[in-house]
Amino acid sequence: MQLYNFAYLDEHTKRMIRRAILKAVAIPGHQIPFASREMPLPYGWGTGGIQVTAAILGPDDVLKVIDQGADDTTNAVSIRRFFARTSAVRTTTRTQEATVIQTRHRIPETALRAGQIIVYQVPIPEPLYRLTPSRADAARMHALADYGAMHVRLYEDIARHGRVALAYDYPVMVNGRYLMSPSPIPAYDNPKLHMNPALQLFGAGREKRIYALPPYTDVRPLDFDDHPFDPHRADAACDLCGAADTYLDELIADDSGRRRFICSDTDSCETRREGGGA
Amino acid sequence: MTLMAAERITRRFGAVAALEDVSLAIARREIVAIVGESGSGKSTLLNVMSGRLAPDSGSVSYDSGAGLAPIGAGGEAALLDLQRRRWGFVAQEPRLALRMNVSAGGNIGERLMVAGARNYGAIRAAASRWLETVEIDPARIDELPRGFSGGMLQRLQIAATLVTEPELVFMDEPTGGLDVSVQARILDLVRGLVRRLGVAVLIVTHDIGVARLLADRIVVMRRGRIVETGLADQVLDDPQHEYTQLLVASVLPA
Repeated sequence: MQLYNFAYLDEHTKRMIRRAILKAVAIPGHQIPFASREMPLPYGWGTGGIQVTAAILGPDDVLKVIDQGADDTTNAVSIRRFFARTSAVRTTTRTQEATVIQTRHRIPETALRAGQIIVYQVPIPEPLYRLTPSRADAARMHALADYGAMHVRLYEDIARHGRVALAYDYPVMVNGRYLMSPSPIPAYDNPKLHMNPALQLFGAGREKRIYALPPYTDVRPLDFDDHPFDPHRADAACDLCGAADTYLDELIADDSGRRRFICSDTDSCETRREGGGA
Repeated sequence: MTLMAAERITRRFGAVAALEDVSLAIARREIVAIVGESGSGKSTLLNVMSGRLAPDSGSVSYDSGAGLAPIGAGGEAALLDLQRRRWGFVAQEPRLALRMNVSAGGNIGERLMVAGARNYGAIRAAASRWLETVEIDPARIDELPRGFSGGMLQRLQIAATLVTEPELVFMDEPTGGLDVSVQARILDLVRGLVRRLGVAVLIVTHDIGVARLLADRIVVMRRGRIVETGLADQVLDDPQHEYTQLLVASVLPA
């Protein structure tokens, strides 16, 4: 007996969301309002991402869900199980095998390929909220491409700290036109947004906005000519797989405050270990 | 060489006619002072001419190099471009015009960054140079304006406005809330700067002394109409309209 429609949402809602997605793809980086539904999980847990995923999922898709890079944390496990139960799609933890990847806070280390879709969960879609709390003001600034004031923030950081003190959610210019929040991914992941062969979709449930980066879109972080974008990465190698080129989580290992660094992307870490630590 | 022209501007606020059929032209490099009592419509005229307020009827035109053209004709983006690149606005209250949680250097650099400057070192050098120009110690470039005195804040606002070397600057009672000695220093500074940069200025003031010190031409307003206009010395030394005579006579002799 089937209690829910395929992938939980009813077909009318899916169609509404797909329309928003199509608009978003047509205007890269521009936020499209949509009638976000009440979902069976709290705001801030991925209500936007889960609706976008529900709208694009087909029976042949293979779904991967990650939270902070990990496949085995509560949020990732429960969303993956949710879709397994409501749509019976195949799920995976392998980035290579997945056709749809829903993510919170990371882009997988394994390069995405054409044909894949990555869905980001977005808490605050409006990068200009750092400057103005008014949506009307922000909309006007977007319409006029009036983004100079964003650089004042970067200027202040460099004057005070010698570098831009934004470790995550680092604003980007899309296609030379729209300023976009990349969701709270680490600045280290920003270069992966640029010219990515996969389709990238962003869903903000509480804020009721969808935006997108079509494959091979030009995405540049804001910076100064003489202070180019320079994302931070912990100066260490992964304790488990030895990788020196991945984004690392810092863990306190024991009561004496010893620290360990391990890959935030569990799939890439495991793959490397199985391959003999190469 | 008319730089800006307002023609037959009327603007009402409810039943009150703030401006009635007002026309005014400004030439390149000319300093024009609008004087008049509170409620005479002088600030409304300034706001209409700077594109901050739409008139009910009449038009404002500006010459960006290809002859006079209405300022609203190119849409909001074109008007914003004029305001950001070719004009400046110095408000009476610097605390509302400046970003108080951004350093002095950031405040001066903002207009440069808005205009497209993307070289941190160059922006910082310009900010430092302008602090010196307005007689603020360049060592305070990273300080928040919160710790600045009223006169310093106003000088900072002037630096933040003139840094892009605009063609036309609007000033609304720029020495309003300041004590007399500070006023004198700021007026001196403004006079030197606008002459050196060749900026045209439209300044609103109720202080005849300010007008005498700065202006080439004086426009006297009363009840939403221009009652007298002429060269500064001419208006001040030989006022024709009875209201102007009253204004000039009511100044205490120095």
